[in-house]
Amino acid sequence: MLAGLAWRNIWRQRYRTVLSLSSIALAAASTVFLLSLQLGVYGTMKENVLRLIDGFAQVQPPGYSDDPDLRKVIADPAAVMARLNAVAGVTATAPRAETYVILSYGSRSYAAAVIGVDPAHEAKVTTLGSSLTAGHALAAGDGDAVLVGAGLARNLKLKLGDKLTMLGAARDGSVAADLLTVKGIFSTGAAQLDRQLVEMPLARFQSDFAMGHSANVIAVSGHSLGAIQSQLSALQAVARRYGLVLRDWAALEPALNDVIMLDMSVGLLWYVSVIVIVVFIILNTLLMSVLERTREFGMLMAIGMRPSQIGRMVWIELVFLAGIGAVLGIALGAGFTLWLSRHGILFSGADALFKQWHMPSTLYPQLGWVSALAGPLAISLCIAVAGLVPYARVRRLEPVSAMRAV
Amino acid sequence: MTNVVANIVECRGVTKHYRQGAIDVPALRGIDLSIEKGDFASLAGPSGSGKTTLLNIIGGLDRPTQGSVKVDGEELTGLSGEALADLRLTKIGFVFQAYNLIPVLTAEENVEFILQLMGEAPAKRRARAREMLHEVALDGLENRRPARLSGGQQQRVAVARALASRPAIVLADEPTANLDSKTAEDLITLMSHLNQISGVTFLMATHDSRVIARTRRHIVITDGRIASDERRNSAG
Ligand SMILES: Nc1ncnc2c1ncn2[C@@H]1O[C@H](COP(=O)(O)OP(=O)(O)OP(=O)(O)O)[C@@H](O)[C@H]1O
Ligand SMILES: [Mg+2]
Repeated sequence: MLAGLAWRNIWRQRYRTVLSLSSIALAAASTVFLLSLQLGVYGTMKENVLRLIDGFAQVQPPGYSDDPDLRKVIADPAAVMARLNAVAGVTATAPRAETYVILSYGSRSYAAAVIGVDPAHEAKVTTLGSSLTAGHALAAGDGDAVLVGAGLARNLKLKLGDKLTMLGAARDGSVAADLLTVKGIFSTGAAQLDRQLVEMPLARFQSDFAMGHSANVIAVSGHSLGAIQSQLSALQAVARRYGLVLRDWAALEPALNDVIMLDMSVGLLWYVSVIVIVVFIILNTLLMSVLERTREFGMLMAIGMRPSQIGRMVWIELVFLAGIGAVLGIALGAGFTLWLSRHGILFSGADALFKQWHMPSTLYPQLGWVSALAGPLAISLCIAVAGLVPYARVRRLEPVSAMRAV
Repeated sequence: MTNVVANIVECRGVTKHYRQGAIDVPALRGIDLSIEKGDFASLAGPSGSGKTTLLNIIGGLDRPTQGSVKVDGEELTGLSGEALADLRLTKIGFVFQAYNLIPVLTAEENVEFILQLMGEAPAKRRARAREMLHEVALDGLENRRPARLSGGQQQRVAVARALASRPAIVLADEPTANLDSKTAEDLITLMSHLNQISGVTFLMATHDSRVIARTRRHIVITDGRIASDERRNSAG
């Protein structure tokens, strides 16, 4: 009964109602689009960065991340990988061994990080092989082959086919030395990686550094980062079974996580201001309409409506506005976002910044339940709560003074 | 209402003072008044004499400064705002000079609304609303909103609504003040008729001599006191 009356009341001032609905819908739509864009960008950023080298998660020996020591090993990587591969959502796993070495060519020497990879598995986990600017990716059966970052190649004045000397400490403390042939040069766009990283076959690494069949980490990949994130506990269980630990993406790339968190909090500030503004506009409009109808409320009280019922009616009017506005906003925002997620948004001129995070310059918003509903729901909820102000005001009305109002 | 109460309204020593800033405005200065079941009474008096104030206090819209008011046996003083609203809903019908109706509801819905507030079943309340609109000769106009009804028609809807809940008393404050004389005449005839056929008690504050001429009880109030209270046998 109150709802029916409230419904008719909101259409008394058509123009005003259309205006209120538009402002709610636009605010809601903007949150849908912006949140989708934000999440889309984060998603692309994370996947691109993680696919480059880390993988979506890693299984490591305990303490390895704080102190990456060659001697902390996964004794039987094949067994762990078999278990990891059995977890739903996991598409590939790759064993790796990692250490620091001195690389020399001619009279020049540089420190570098060397990663031993199993080419067959690695290609399914990371994209380093696809950022080659010269030569070929590692392949099964490669012996002394090595992939060198473009920056390091420049520093050492290396070209394809050159033989460089690698010097390091083996797992047993002996000196590890080898002569490796440059098979490819990669350029990831991340200057630091390109200056410091080399990749060699895991088998050669294991024999050079006296590691037997052990590895230092196992990188895990999935259909999507989300698929892996939703299986963290299952992956953790596998790791624990072998006395290992699981590191998720945020642990692997804390800097990226920080950037995203910072950006989210800036975004949050924006959402809060949008919500505050729209709530203020709507509340103001409703208070105006309450004031205009004071005399009518006096009449309603005279004929026996309780002040609390009138208050509720006014509150329901606000909830109707919020609800319709939110639904319109979701439709509008989702439509726009879907269209853009198909066509992409080209950010020309921001290439350098984007490249740093391995981003393409065309971005695709990612519409999901969260991005479609969070903003509009927050807006309607805030309006409903703000509606307690007119409710309280109406409840305090005295019939006689209300009826004397002009 | 099955209460066997001879007096529908009983006011004892009712005073009302309004505060306007520092000034104390006495609107009622000690009213003793009983309205009997079936009365068809007018409340006349000069402007500012306290007619509206008294009507509002009897109707539970306003509270007396002192004194006691009983409506249909129930003491009003001490009731909460919500309880007074419930009392108005079930025991009192109001007809004002203007702005009586809910603008977004049709004539029929306006009448029905009261019954809805009372929790009556849809079929029953619809039938009652139709019946009441028929009583006030508004057949055919049930689905019009107030904006599309004349002043006289709107007042009839208000009367129909006031009677729909079968109240103990109908309080009307200048019900004819906004009507031309023919329409005013029709409205008072209608109310008089309803009083006679259904025995509903009416108390009407009015300046209108045509209304006063048709009432059977004639109360005059001056300066917040009852100046005279006469009964006449015939209602013109
Ligand atoms: N809310 C109020 N605040 C202050 N004074 C009031 C208020 N209501 C009424 N009064 C005063 O109380 C007195 C009685 O007013 P009331 O409205 O009852 O008179 P009335 O007989 O109905 O007059 P009228 O014939 O003009 O309608 C007047 O002096 C009026 O100014
Ligand atoms: Mg008056």
